[in-house]
Amino acid sequence: MGQRLEALSGQALAILFALILGAVVIVAVGENPVRVLVTLLNGAFGSPERIAGTLLQATPILVCGVAACISLRAGLFNIGIEGQLFMGGFAAAWVGFSFSLPPVIHLLAAMAFAVFAGVAWIALPAFFRTRYNANEVVSTILGNYVAVLVTSYLTINIFKRPGGLPETPPILPTAYLPEFFSFSRLNWGLFIGIALAIGAQFVFQRTARGYAISEMGANAKFAEYGGIDIRRQGFLILLASGAVGGLAGGIEALGVHRRFMEGFAPGFGFDGVIAALLANGSPIGTIATALFFGALRSGSLLLEVDTTASREIITVIQALIILAVSAQIKLRRGASDSMAGERRWKF
Amino acid sequence: MPLAVELRSITKRFGAIVANERVNLAVERGKVHAIIGENGAGKTTLMNILFGLLQPDEGAILIDGVPTVLPNPAAAIKAGIGMVHQHFKLVQSLTVAENVFLGMEIRKGLFIDHRAQSERTATLSKQFGLEVDPNERVGLLSVGIEQRIEILKVLVRGARTIILDEPTAVLTPQESRELFQTLRGFVSQGMTVLFISHHLEEVMEVSDTVTVLRLGKEVGVRPIAGLSKAELIQMMVGHAISFDRRPRQKAKGAAVVEIRDLWARDDRLLPALRGVSFDIRRGEIVGVAGVAGNGQAELAEALSGLRAPSHGSILLEGRELVGRSARDIRAAGLAHVPGDRLVRGVDRHASIASNILMGRQDALPWSRRGIIDRSYLTRRTEALMRRFDIRAPGPQSLVKSLSGGNIQKVVLAREFSTEARFLLIDQPTRGVDIGATEAIHAEIMRQRGEGRAILLISVQLDELIALADRILVMFAGRIVGDLDAAGVTEEELGLLMAGVVPERQRDVAGIA
Repeated sequence: MGQRLEALSGQALAILFALILGAVVIVAVGENPVRVLVTLLNGAFGSPERIAGTLLQATPILVCGVAACISLRAGLFNIGIEGQLFMGGFAAAWVGFSFSLPPVIHLLAAMAFAVFAGVAWIALPAFFRTRYNANEVVSTILGNYVAVLVTSYLTINIFKRPGGLPETPPILPTAYLPEFFSFSRLNWGLFIGIALAIGAQFVFQRTARGYAISEMGANAKFAEYGGIDIRRQGFLILLASGAVGGLAGGIEALGVHRRFMEGFAPGFGFDGVIAALLANGSPIGTIATALFFGALRSGSLLLEVDTTASREIITVIQALIILAVSAQIKLRRGASDSMAGERRWKF
Repeated sequence: MPLAVELRSITKRFGAIVANERVNLAVERGKVHAIIGENGAGKTTLMNILFGLLQPDEGAILIDGVPTVLPNPAAAIKAGIGMVHQHFKLVQSLTVAENVFLGMEIRKGLFIDHRAQSERTATLSKQFGLEVDPNERVGLLSVGIEQRIEILKVLVRGARTIILDEPTAVLTPQESRELFQTLRGFVSQGMTVLFISHHLEEVMEVSDTVTVLRLGKEVGVRPIAGLSKAELIQMMVGHAISFDRRPRQKAKGAAVVEIRDLWARDDRLLPALRGVSFDIRRGEIVGVAGVAGNGQAELAEALSGLRAPSHGSILLEGRELVGRSARDIRAAGLAHVPGDRLVRGVDRHASIASNILMGRQDALPWSRRGIIDRSYLTRRTEALMRRFDIRAPGPQSLVKSLSGGNIQKVVLAREFSTEARFLLIDQPTRGVDIGATEAIHAEIMRQRGEGRAILLISVQLDELIALADRILVMFAGRIVGDLDAAGVTEEELGLLMAGVVPERQRDVAGIA
């Protein structure tokens, strides 16, 4: 417990350090850091609509974050969640506008297709990883570019209305993921994300499979010695991670945009990976970090309206946080013995 | 003439473990000086101290007769000492010459003078017989050539004394012979070589003098001329703590394990097991003796399903184990105490309870419908901690906070609390203090009394003589002796371990 607390306080210190550096940057562009911070907070939490907006932004980051947690736990690194999200989003939208099905069934079918698309998109990297020991970081990250371009090609060349915007037709209302309020597109996806995080945490901590996965990530040789088939399990873990990544896309398509379009969900996959890393690979912790990133995104909208600072300043602050946190992980690794560093952070 | 390197009374501790205890080392200029000892004897620690990677707790370092403090490798390099590590540190995408000069590039103005670097590399490689193409990319080269580049890196930094840590571990026999020629070339040009190894034959072949380390202590320095293999083995394995042979009744049960003509390759794909056959009876301890690296590790891995045998058969109570997974083999009735305890035997960053769970997480009553029964796990762990005298605050204590002996007891507690009929026990007391060693020996005898078939692999002969019913001696992947452990002497075993068997001498000459 003491160690966990120490790790958490370290994380908090890293974020504080990044915010101070961010303040310096804000001063450098001629703005007042306090004013920027107040505007950010106001933009993220200032009214029910804005809180809903923050949660709306946090949802895909959370779901993608859970996808990342799953692979990180096994010592694997699926950085292709962005790609799985695009494929999942496109697949869900396609089912949504192409078929006419009864209400609940239509929604479930579209979600299932999103999951399937995510799995399909990671299947090849997962196969190469387990069969030929090809580094999954490289293969999944390359998949991202292909996914974005393939979905964009399909949208523009096949489904776009002549002369219309670069987007598919809207999905039928039978496939809608229901909203909560009239004033926001905040939808059931948030609860799906929270349920996934809690479920993943439960599996990791309480189940035999979760134990096998965690030990594989902690010491693969020990796991292998104990009779765990680390190749098979690694393959399945990557598929599961991809499935959740695809689901994230489905939630965006069916709950928020209700169609697929170019620039469908920019950066959510990457933000999810970062949220998971920031939470030290803990699904429950990812709920908090996803909220944090969601607030930054949603607060930055008001920032552009109310101050002279541009939205990009938020990207800078985000980058600073990542830098500070990874430096802090590195420091901790140096301080403890060398084996500790191999735990889960071996990309 | 002053000594090239002298270490005086070096002591180095890691927590409770003494890695080097008052070790002396005197290396003459222009000689190949070997340091030999079993794994864990403290060879690498001693060399890391000489190379400035570790600081001694006590003792002095003299280089060319001058007392020297080496706070880091840079200081050691400055003092003319270079080290070639077991694991190479080369940039695969750069050329040979670029690697050799990495960090000390020859410059022409702002730019690297690639031509000068290549020429200088070629000159050095010619001078010392280390044939390389300076402009080839390292990623395309074999391990043997990578080692040459590492040696060139050391030479170009002006080393006059070169430390090689287990240099032949990654080499083929052919590459090893070439390396030895190179080393002889070095000393003929007035340089000094420190050669770390646990392979007798190599040490006898290449060095002038040998220092033997055992359990962190220096047990002797001898000139190679006039030294026999048997004497050297005797020094290496020695008898620091002599255990009394445990009393027992003769095992008369049926064969539980039957191994027939087992062959396996090592990580370099060279044959490491060459047709091994033996039986283990119910209630019998079969010991395996041998100098490390003669196939014992591969035998253990083949039996436990962690390495696929290339040929042969392993029957456990009549069922074939070859070709089955580690999980199936465990289910068929194997328990395994691995030799590399900290790598395979435990997850050091997890709790004792979590380590006890390994391998049985899917079975009742440890888990039910896939959910781990945590209260059962805690209770069982507490019971096992009492039963095996594991000294720790509780089941949630992290394994890394325990002493070596207690970590080994965690492994034993897990493996001996299974229903397995066959116990594979590899180096049960390596790095374990004397009190825990006693307890572990008593536990192994108790397992024998319960009728389990036990294979005990150990580099400590006294341990084998104390516990085993029969002792098999392995040499170069074969069993060269099968002796009744009652009445066998360490001298007899030592001769067999050195490969000195009249009818086998032909093989020895061919393999070494």
